Amino acid sequence: MKPLLTAEKLVKSFGGVRAVDGISFAIGEGRCAALLGPNGAGKTTTIRMLAGLLRPTEGRIAFTGLPERSDIRAHIGYLPQSPSFYGWMSGREYMMYAGRLCGLRAADAKRTADELLARVGLAGAGRRRIATYSGGMKQRLGLAQALVHRPKLLVLDEPVSALDPVGRREVLELLKELKRETTILFSTHVLPDAEELCDDIMIVRDGRIVVQGSLPDIRERYREPVITVRTERDEASLEWVKRRAGKAGGPVVSALPFEDGIRFAVSDLDAARRLLLREMADEGVKVARIEAGYSTLEDVFMKAVST
Amino acid sequence: MRGLAAMLGKEWLELARSWKWLWVPLVFILLGIMQPVSYYFLPQLLDAAGNLPEGAVISIPLPSGGEILAGTLEQYGIFGALIIALSFMGAVSQERNTGTGALILVKPVSPAAFVLSKWLAMAALVAASLAAGYAASWYYTVVLIGPVAVGNAMAGAALYALWLLVVGSSALMFSALWKSPAAAAFSALGTFAALALLTSLFPRQLAWSPGRLPAASRELLLEGAAGSLWPTVAVTALCVIGSVLIAVRAVRAHPAD
Ligand SMILES: Nc1ncnc2c1ncn2[C@@H]1O[C@H](COP(=O)(O)OP(=O)(O)OP(=O)(O)O)[C@@H](O)[C@H]1O
Ligand SMILES: [Mg+2]
Repeated sequence: MKPLLTAEKLVKSFGGVRAVDGISFAIGEGRCAALLGPNGAGKTTTIRMLAGLLRPTEGRIAFTGLPERSDIRAHIGYLPQSPSFYGWMSGREYMMYAGRLCGLRAADAKRTADELLARVGLAGAGRRRIATYSGGMKQRLGLAQALVHRPKLLVLDEPVSALDPVGRREVLELLKELKRETTILFSTHVLPDAEELCDDIMIVRDGRIVVQGSLPDIRERYREPVITVRTERDEASLEWVKRRAGKAGGPVVSALPFEDGIRFAVSDLDAARRLLLREMADEGVKVARIEAGYSTLEDVFMKAVST
Repeated sequence: MRGLAAMLGKEWLELARSWKWLWVPLVFILLGIMQPVSYYFLPQLLDAAGNLPEGAVISIPLPSGGEILAGTLEQYGIFGALIIALSFMGAVSQERNTGTGALILVKPVSPAAFVLSKWLAMAALVAASLAAGYAASWYYTVVLIGPVAVGNAMAGAALYALWLLVVGSSALMFSALWKSPAAAAFSALGTFAALALLTSLFPRQLAWSPGRLPAASRELLLEGAAGSLWPTVAVTALCVIGSVLIAVRAVRAHPAD
């Protein structure tokens, strides 16, 4: 894999707080990578350093695979978490402006603007003032303006988080298309988006990468037997879940409670099943559902970002 | 200076869409006309007020044309500077606060062009407004009051153009340094009001300061001479250039919030 972008030991401190605390990764050319993490993990901070809006406190960002001495900004398309535009411009004017800023001639800028507006579904609204756009329309305009110079790398900060299910679907489909043309790095706090689009994921927490690799790789590497128990919400059951949380021993490797149940990572599926079933019967736990199998990506994610 | 032409176009359009191209020159024109017209009608106004004793003859000596124009420029020096500072107090900080600037500065453009486009738009607005307002004032002065010495009247206006430019440039600089537009306007206006005051208190020691521009302009119009102005003009030009350079550095170091 030839890396397009390499980040080495990136650190960003705000005052005393290390929002990003030594992140290293490489993004291969033509790949789609996701920065996955909960609120406050440091995704936006990382992305803003890549876009050149923040200077890293420590560490290095290198774009290999780009011509020497060229302005790296000419090869990156950036969409911020909540893009803001000049409300007095029309969408089409803004696109033309963005094109001119990237060095297109007026005629080319006009043609590109119309093409991209059509592509993101804003052809009809192109002549309206941006101030009248809905949040979803602004997000799509943000995506269009990031594409105006056919960037080698698209850096998108939570491109779908602010959208309704329909808008989200549309943008995800658009990204699937774009993925064939260019390298993409995007951030998200929900796994399904990453799972649907990405080749590689990096799970971030508290400014550090805790899990990193290609999707099949991670599935393989973190595959472990799990038993998931859902209970009714009566006192005895809730009490048991609370007592069991975090307690390992015997075939049980870890126990992670969630809203209406608890998830056990185990070393021996049969032994653990026997142990837990007996224990629940003894304690009068009202089991709603019990499931034994292998961990999903969701389990890996939940485990990585909790505790 | 990559992106300068495009960004200048955007600034230009923004001045038009926010109607600043209309109302700023209009305010200058109104201020300009008010001086000659109010002096011209002053005797009639006093007459109409009519509470003077019978037989009293009103004889207010009409001021000279130069005096009227000096008065107009003084208005520009205060209200014009206020309008310019208020118009550009958020030039950079608003782009940072709202995030519009981030979207521009991640593109392959030079931060210097980003600042310079705003400066050029400001300078153009200052020049156009001052020219329009002063022309109107001059016309009514000549028609209603009397002739003016062309050379001195031009030079006097040029000094005020410099004054407005240095105030506007510093408003732009402070808008790149500080988050709050109000603080930027206050700093720019405060700095130059203080400078003008200090210069009037210590005229000899501070003869080179930009604070001398208003007084020098007045002397030119009233007395026809103001001594050597080159040090003042040179220092003011340096202030303007320095403001722009500091703003560029601030944008480069801190493109987004
Ligand atoms: N300008 C700043 N000054 C101080 N602290 C900051 C600043 N920007 C971010 N932080 C802190 O850095 C941490 C990471 O923030 P960041 O915005 O990168 O998180 P995120 O992963 O993008 O979260 P979200 O999903 O909520 O967007 C947070 O604790 C945040 O409070
Ligand atoms: Mg974020």
